[in-house]
Amino acid sequence: MESHVRFWRVVLLAPPLLVFGLFVLWPLADSFRYSVSNWNGFSADAAFVGLDNFRKIFTDPLFANAILNSAIWMAAALVLPVGAGLALALLLDSGVRGAGVFKSIFYLPICLSSVVVGQIWIWIFQPDWGLLNTAISAASGETFGYAWLAKPGTALYAVIVAWSWQQTGLAMVIFLAGLTAIPRDLLEAADVDGVAYHKQIAHIILPMLRPATVVVIALSVINSLKGFDILYIMTGGGPFNSSDTLAMFMYDESFKKYKMGYGSAISVVLFVITLTIIFVYFKELKKMDEIYE
Amino acid sequence: MSTTSDHKHASDTWGTVIFICLIVLAALFLAPTIGVLLSAFKSTRDIALGDLWSLPRSLYLDNFAEILANPSVRIDLVNTLLVTVPATIASIGLGVSAGYVFAKLPFRGSDLIFLGIVSGMFFPPQIILIPLFKLFNALGLIDTLWPMILIHSAMGIPICTLLMRNFFATVPNALREAALLEGVNEWQILTRVALPISLPALAVLATLQFTWIWNDFLWPLIFTQSDDKRTIMLGLVSLRGQYTVAWGVQGALSIAASLPTLVIFLFFQRFFIRGMTMGAVKG
Repeated sequence: MESHVRFWRVVLLAPPLLVFGLFVLWPLADSFRYSVSNWNGFSADAAFVGLDNFRKIFTDPLFANAILNSAIWMAAALVLPVGAGLALALLLDSGVRGAGVFKSIFYLPICLSSVVVGQIWIWIFQPDWGLLNTAISAASGETFGYAWLAKPGTALYAVIVAWSWQQTGLAMVIFLAGLTAIPRDLLEAADVDGVAYHKQIAHIILPMLRPATVVVIALSVINSLKGFDILYIMTGGGPFNSSDTLAMFMYDESFKKYKMGYGSAISVVLFVITLTIIFVYFKELKKMDEIYE
Repeated sequence: MSTTSDHKHASDTWGTVIFICLIVLAALFLAPTIGVLLSAFKSTRDIALGDLWSLPRSLYLDNFAEILANPSVRIDLVNTLLVTVPATIASIGLGVSAGYVFAKLPFRGSDLIFLGIVSGMFFPPQIILIPLFKLFNALGLIDTLWPMILIHSAMGIPICTLLMRNFFATVPNALREAALLEGVNEWQILTRVALPISLPALAVLATLQFTWIWNDFLWPLIFTQSDDKRTIMLGLVSLRGQYTVAWGVQGALSIAASLPTLVIFLFFQRFFIRGMTMGAVKG
């Protein structure tokens, strides 16, 4: 019996572990190896350069720029999709007519490719006939032709807005799932006691939404680090690197300048940042399991 | 799962206010999508003259005609299908296999391996970009569809394993034990007992995986070079490079490229949402 189980464990687990190991784990380990080399992407051999790449990273103004932009994106991810998703979930949970249709509308962008989303938002920000400038011109009565994506001061924020448009639906759905888990009689009891709705939100709903909030925040933060496609489409990190993030910077250094060793060092930094976030996230989840079980 | 109004925060006035709020928000939210729809039915000249955001006066179909007549669009779509279908099936198959072990045949340390696999879905793909580039270069697979098929099969394992393990965990152990007593082996239990009742979970994964793989952009960007090997998302971007101002054509192609995932969204939305909330990790 036990040998039967052992046999099937191996048979069933070997293929997924093999594929995952070959195309995910081994490349991950390999990244560390390249990060201490000066490989250029073509030559058969690469020299060991020790920690030179990492030393360079911490003096490279472009890296500082990319990490600052990633931090801005992350901070915005905490506010925009999380806040908007929560607000939408609360509105939809009020028993409003047509909640299902509204939910679909807010969720729709999730199924679109970032390439298409980027394309859509380029048109929103288009200086001459984009929706934003058309609306501003109509409201102010003067022709407004600001090139949102071509100006260093606004390019990054414009991309973040577009990205948040796509992410909000996901946050909303997770908050909605969290809301349905709140016992209705609790809120009804509060109603009977005459507790105002805004107080119910502050003292019952938000505290009970804590698990959902942790998930949404973790997701938003992690997805902000993953944001690449939409940035590539909308600005390519420009103008003048003003919207460069870590993911974009890594791509540029590796696949445009062919500094694969340096690029690997950047991906190691990216790995460490992500690992830290995941670690905090899993710890929070565990803490919650202990409280809520 | 519609919330009924048994819970009475939405008094009539408030209900109306919230309803109007949501209408306005929904209109704002839909505006970008509507813009693309409108663009596909307008000539580039009209758009350039600032006439994108009005309803088209006549049914202008030239943009779609141009897309349909373009042979490279067809190639792109076929390539995308050739990547998406096998990779969707493979990733789900691998996830079923691993998920079954973690749920029904656990062993010492299996939880740790499970955690390791699942955390794989959090990392930005940039982390493994260079080694994979080198690997597929060495295998001579650059500029074929193989890198995308293999990578998506592998990168889908975390979410598929997670969802399948959680689903299999709800299948009663008594079912498995009864089958074992009848002399049925583990493979037959998996394929004849566990899988038939897992159809909802499989549907969830099929919609999620198909959508993500179809929409992917980074891997084909890295691994394909020639026009006849690229996927539709890359085709969309390269179209933009060729005719920077052919907005109407770009709109039409955007719609064509989004059609399969939009259809999935419209018909399998419940599966899709369930998967997103259960996995709650990708995006």
